[in-house]
Amino acid sequence: MKKSTYKVPGGKLLKISLEENNGVIQRIQIMGDFFLHPEESIVELEEILVGAELNQNKLSETIQSFLDNPDIILIGASSADIAKAIILADN
Amino acid sequence: MTVDELRFLPLETNSAFENMAIDESIMNSMRDGNVPPTFRLYRWKPSAVSIGTFQGMSEEVDLAYCKRKNIDYIRRITGGGAVYHDYDGEVTYSIILPKGHRLVPDDIIESYKVLCSGIIAGLSRLGIDSEFKPINDVIAGGRKISGNAQTRRHRCVLQHGTILLDLDVRVMFSVLKVPEEKISDKMIADVKERVTSIREMLNKRVSINDLAAALEAGFAESLDIELIPGSLTDEERQYVETFRKNKYSTDDWNLSR
Repeated sequence: MKKSTYKVPGGKLLKISLEENNGVIQRIQIMGDFFLHPEESIVELEEILVGAELNQNKLSETIQSFLDNPDIILIGASSADIAKAIILADN
Repeated sequence: MTVDELRFLPLETNSAFENMAIDESIMNSMRDGNVPPTFRLYRWKPSAVSIGTFQGMSEEVDLAYCKRKNIDYIRRITGGGAVYHDYDGEVTYSIILPKGHRLVPDDIIESYKVLCSGIIAGLSRLGIDSEFKPINDVIAGGRKISGNAQTRRHRCVLQHGTILLDLDVRVMFSVLKVPEEKISDKMIADVKERVTSIREMLNKRVSINDLAAALEAGFAESLDIELIPGSLTDEERQYVETFRKNKYSTDDWNLSR
């Protein structure tokens, strides 16, 4: 299990727990003191990321397209911040 | 002008599991239109640590220490960070309103600001100047004195938060997972630069009841509401029992992350 902790400048703390194989996410938990509404959608985001390639730009795009849903609101971090935290866990 | 009325559930003491079950139960009954907007004040006995809904329990909390010291641990339905709810050291409030209520702007940070004005007015009554600091804090003298968290579901908004009366940084560090070697004087000094309490600001003791009274008056005044003392309905009590038993007291929920 790979882990990272990333304090978003001016935002919240992200903690990533990650399993990967050949640069592809097998399992991931996005933890921290951020806010995501509705809260249950965190599971949906984590499911979307399973199978994703560990490439910061691609991850950022995938997360952003999830957040483009107007019913989903992330506060205290951005798609780019989560992507950065995931890559930090991989390194 | 008509002043909005809110049901007021005066300061009471419950276990962590009951407290979180009560907040969710009120939302459930409000969803069905069975209860009015509600404001409540509460304490935690035994003392407890609550973590944000996205936090990892074992990442944040020293469970062995909590078990040894009879400190409960619980996952909230709201995001945000870990809070140590010392029985003698803080008061928690919650306010539950239907979406569209004049006190709940659609913009989430704006709504924190509106609802936190009740805390600021309450602290002012005790002689403390404070201000809202986005995203979800109230600060006094540049340091955090209150943390707040909000969820929106069932066409309702729930905001709950803690107001620090007294703070023992060493106990807080024992409950929260900070490697022992890091509990240095330097680190304690760092926290003291970021967090404060009513006792520290005033350099005197304020009783729990005085803080509760100040918050009651502060929320009423700044939100322009009338707080009508009331109690939970039978339906809410049934929800509380179900949520306590099947959710908040279970490892399935509390250790899910």
